[in-house]
Amino acid sequence: MKNLLEIQDAHVYIGSFYILQGISLVVPKGEVTLLLGRNGAGKTTTMKTILGIYPPTKGKIMFNGEEISNLPTHKIVNKGIGYVPDTRRIFGTLTVEQNLIVSRRKGTSKGDMENRFELIFDLFPDMRRFLKQRAGTLSGGQQQMLAVARALVNENDLLLIDEPTEGLSPLLAKNLISSLGRLKEYATILMVEQNFRAVSKLGDNYYIFDSGKIAHEGNNMAELIVDKALVAQYLGVSI
Amino acid sequence: MTIEADSFENSQRNQRVRRLAMFVVFLIIAGFAVIWAINIYTWNGFIIRASKSLVNGLALSMLLFLMVSGFFLIFGLCDVINFAHGAFFMLGGFMGYVLYLQTEAVFLDPSLPFYLLFGTNYFALSITAFIVSAFGATAVLALIGGGIEFFTIRRLYGNPIAQILLTVGFMFIITQVAEIIWGPPQFSYFIIPHSQLTYFFISGTIDLGGGVIFQTYRIFLIFLGFAVAGIMFIGFRKTRIGLQIQAGIEDSEMVEALGTNIRRLFTIVFMLGAGLAGLSGAILVPWIGANSGHGLTYLIYAFVIVVVGGAHYGRFEGTFFGALIVGLSIQFTSYFIPVLENIIVFIIMAAILIIKPGGLTGRA
Repeated sequence: MKNLLEIQDAHVYIGSFYILQGISLVVPKGEVTLLLGRNGAGKTTTMKTILGIYPPTKGKIMFNGEEISNLPTHKIVNKGIGYVPDTRRIFGTLTVEQNLIVSRRKGTSKGDMENRFELIFDLFPDMRRFLKQRAGTLSGGQQQMLAVARALVNENDLLLIDEPTEGLSPLLAKNLISSLGRLKEYATILMVEQNFRAVSKLGDNYYIFDSGKIAHEGNNMAELIVDKALVAQYLGVSI
Repeated sequence: MTIEADSFENSQRNQRVRRLAMFVVFLIIAGFAVIWAINIYTWNGFIIRASKSLVNGLALSMLLFLMVSGFFLIFGLCDVINFAHGAFFMLGGFMGYVLYLQTEAVFLDPSLPFYLLFGTNYFALSITAFIVSAFGATAVLALIGGGIEFFTIRRLYGNPIAQILLTVGFMFIITQVAEIIWGPPQFSYFIIPHSQLTYFFISGTIDLGGGVIFQTYRIFLIFLGFAVAGIMFIGFRKTRIGLQIQAGIEDSEMVEALGTNIRRLFTIVFMLGAGLAGLSGAILVPWIGANSGHGLTYLIYAFVIVVVGGAHYGRFEGTFFGALIVGLSIQFTSYFIPVLENIIVFIIMAAILIIKPGGLTGRA
């Protein structure tokens, strides 16, 4: 199967607000798909819709050829989806290690867990140092590493990564993105990112959101970056 | 920049000075209180009363802590203010009382084979009955709590008004049922006069001389309370489900998004919370008895403890400090200024909220 995830004409309401107005997109296996667009365009809601936090009132979501649109969140996630939320949302009162243990799903053996820890330390060598530290005392960059690591504790086919560079300094953001680039070997990635230039080398495909609809899609980030009219219209940057 | 740094430092220093000043004021008031008490009750009377208040206060605090930690868990994880928690505690008391007497009766009935098990070893019999009553009350209340969550509250998450009405309703239902069966709050049920053996495994007193006499059971309660609290703390730190509950108190949606069945976790926490209320109710019976009026009284204590401790800001240790303050202050006033016994906790609550609006551990 070529497409790991497929959203077909999803309509989502949050309260009385009509947020997603018919979104259709595909996430091909083994590739990085980016969701771009201004604040409030519906990118994060799309992530939460996939996770079942805001289930679609109309439309279908297929994961690995199976419909997941009406399943509860934990069942969707247990099919092999890792989630890195936009504001990190690490558990501040727990230690880094406890954050990782909480994220472990049922049925993961100790041996598996050790392998996953090795992968995490390989990507973020610093993590080993602050494993016993309270997560709330970590710096912003370290918290973001932990948020990503939490999604790597289980073997996931798909990683949903929401604004990983938000609030990080340019250097930290660059390092994080290069680490995320290495993740491509392990999983398919669907990523929301405002800073589309930073992830331009990472993305294989992209969708540009505008007011709850997909305004533009493509698979050549290099072309998108030089398309000044498109960038000015949808991504809020005029140069 | 320097001005900002200066003012930051200043505010830090101010805070430290204010804290020190408050501590000194507290010491002065406490000093005057001690002098006043010695003056009225004489030195010997003061020592007797103070030591009794301390032991009783610590015992009550530990048990209040167990009860309130159940209340806190339900509030922290599920965002439900469980107004029926006091009623759970009260029912736990009656369950403990009934189960103790029933277990005793089973072991003493010559027509049943259990008769031979203990023979005339009444100590072993009583201890077994006590363990059965404690575990039994915990289990019954856990089932009731879990059932209430599963069949009713589950439909009302995110609707606080409806939750309050529902749990207040359960409080009235449980209290009324208890009144129908066991009578109004004028009747308190104790194990000793109703027990066939009129024997309880920990009774009697410890005499330290000079009139300093402690009830043995209350000292036992301090240790028992500490032991249960210790087991609970270890469970929260070392088990996966304990960590999930802690993480869920911070951000339950995120715990779910990591693959945990949050609904099931909510039911488990309701069972745990109600079970803790039942356990504390049952093991307090040999001291305070089972009484249908306890539901409301202990619900109010639970509120005061949470607010005083600042536990409503998500700090578990807040319940511990809150319980210590409430338990000790009730006992100290009952020995020194009996007229204030019933209102002291509210006076303390008002004072703490004026000085630290966020409670002891919370943010202002």
